[in-house]
Amino acid sequence: MIRNTQQKLESEQGRPLLIFGYITVIISVSVYVLLKTTNSYYSNLLWFTIPLLGGLFMFILRKRKTKYVKTFIDGIVNIVWSTIGVVTILLSFTSFFLSLNYLALMLLLLGIATTLTGLIVRFKPIIFCGIIGTLSCILPFVFNGYEKVLIFTVAIFIMMVIPGHILQYNGRKENV
Amino acid sequence: MFKELNPLLHSELRLGIMSILISVEEADFLFIKEKTSASVGNISVQLEKLSTAGYIQVEKGFLGKRTRTVCKITPEGIAAFAEYVEAIKTYLGKET
Repeated sequence: MIRNTQQKLESEQGRPLLIFGYITVIISVSVYVLLKTTNSYYSNLLWFTIPLLGGLFMFILRKRKTKYVKTFIDGIVNIVWSTIGVVTILLSFTSFFLSLNYLALMLLLLGIATTLTGLIVRFKPIIFCGIIGTLSCILPFVFNGYEKVLIFTVAIFIMMVIPGHILQYNGRKENV
Repeated sequence: MFKELNPLLHSELRLGIMSILISVEEADFLFIKEKTSASVGNISVQLEKLSTAGYIQVEKGFLGKRTRTVCKITPEGIAAFAEYVEAIKTYLGKET
């Protein structure tokens, strides 16, 4: 029964990572293209669509599920991501008043959340990708200009999209 | 000395349902059906018995146009399950 719960978890936990991972990658590439072409600071407003689009896709895909089970680990992982999600949204609003390296802060927060997820579900690839993501928070300080948006995109791909696919693949393989 | 086994839990399907629900926060009817491989009617009857005893909480709702029954173990259910496990240990010679 416990093993079954873990299998379920593996297949379910991959989905939020993939949804938010791909949306962040698409939005950050769009921001980069807009910044390059228009050179307008307002291009950064596009970042605010990530939680909206992520929430929308999560809702749509959740509705399609036929069987439903919520494990205790699911609950803990949800708390971790909800906390980090709220903090990142609140932090992003401070960009109207403060001038901080937000890409570095986002990588740090999301990297910590990914690492914690890996530790909670005891899945080494997520821990590894999460640590890489967390350490990558120094890169926006190293690179200058709009290229740091691309660095951010690559870091998000490594810490969210890759572990998401690994979880989905493992979940499907175990459930066959 | 053998302890008395809780007759409500000493049934294959009810024990199966309780063991599913004790390992998760909540689960719906379809998940329980898949894990127990029991018939819809049989599961419904057993869920009703467990619910009446206060061992589980059953919430009926809607998911789109479909009905969804979500089950959750209660603190009384957890206590009864733990007591059952302790009682059965006396039959296995593992009494602590």
